[in-house]
Amino acid sequence: MSRIPALLVTHADLGAALLRAAQQVYGPVMDVDFLSNSELSRADLESAIRERVSGWTHGGLVLTDFPGGSCQQCGLLAARGNAEILVVTGVNLPGLLDYLHNREHYPVAELAERLVTRARDSVRMQQTRPE
Amino acid sequence: MSWLNQRVDDRLIHGQVVVAWGSALRPARLYVVDDQVAASPWERDLLVSAAPDAEVRVLTVAEAAAAWEAEQDAPGGAMLVLRDLRTARALVESGATVPAFTLGGLHYAPGKAKIAEYVYLDDADREDARALLRRGVKLEVQDVPATRPQGLMALDPTVAP
Repeated sequence: MSRIPALLVTHADLGAALLRAAQQVYGPVMDVDFLSNSELSRADLESAIRERVSGWTHGGLVLTDFPGGSCQQCGLLAARGNAEILVVTGVNLPGLLDYLHNREHYPVAELAERLVTRARDSVRMQQTRPE
Repeated sequence: MSWLNQRVDDRLIHGQVVVAWGSALRPARLYVVDDQVAASPWERDLLVSAAPDAEVRVLTVAEAAAAWEAEQDAPGGAMLVLRDLRTARALVESGATVPAFTLGGLHYAPGKAKIAEYVYLDDADREDARALLRRGVKLEVQDVPATRPQGLMALDPTVAP
C-alpha cells in the first residue's frame, strides 16, 4: 500500500508548529505539507489547497483545525467531487501522530477514521485528589 | 431586537464570525448575501453547517434587500455577511437601509493596496466605498469585537466622497 499524503490547513502557524512537534516525536516526515490561511481570501485559500492536492493521484487527507472555519470550508470546496480526498477537522498532535504511524497500512477512509478516534480520545479531563 | 452587525468579509462565515462575533452578539440569524453562493445548494449547505448556533439564511442581493425591513422587527438579533464592497453597495442601492458596514476581512489580491492588516482595496473598492459614504452609510474597519473599530476614511482619506 502506498503512503497517503496529508496537507495541514490551519490558522496562523499552527500547521507548521504541529508538524514540527510531530517530527520531534516521530522523526523526519515526508509527504506532509502545511498551509496557513493568513491573509488569504476564501477564493484564494480554496485555490491554494486545490493546487497543493492536485498531485495526489491516490487520494489524501486535508487536516484542518476547527469546524466551521475557513480552513475546513475551503478544504471541502477544494476536495469537492473527489471521494479519495477526505477532510478531517479538529486535528491535534495525537491524531497527527496516529496518521503518521499508519499512513502506509490503511486505505484513506480507514486512516481518517483512526485519526478521528485517536484525536477525540486524547482530549481528557483529569483531576488529582489531595494526598 | 434588530440588525446587530453588517460585515464585509471575503471569507463569509468563518472562525471570526462564528466564534468571536457569534459569542459577543449571539445572533439568532446569520444572513449571507451572495448571488453566487445562493445559486449553489452545495455551498449553501456548507455555510449552514459552519454556524450551528444560528439559523443561516443565504440570500441573493435582491432577496436580502426585500427582507431587510421585516428583519428589523423580528425577535432575536441578526447579523449579515457579504464578501465585498460591490455587494454592499448593491444591497444599499437595492433598497436596504443599512446604517453601517464593518470591514472585517478584504484580503490581498493583485492591484489592491493595504489599508489595514486585513483590509486591501483597489480603485473599484474605493469607488464603492465612496458611493456608500455619500448615502450616509458608516464604514468601519474591525476584525473581531476585542479590537477597536476605526473609520475607513481615517485609514484611507482617498475614499472621502
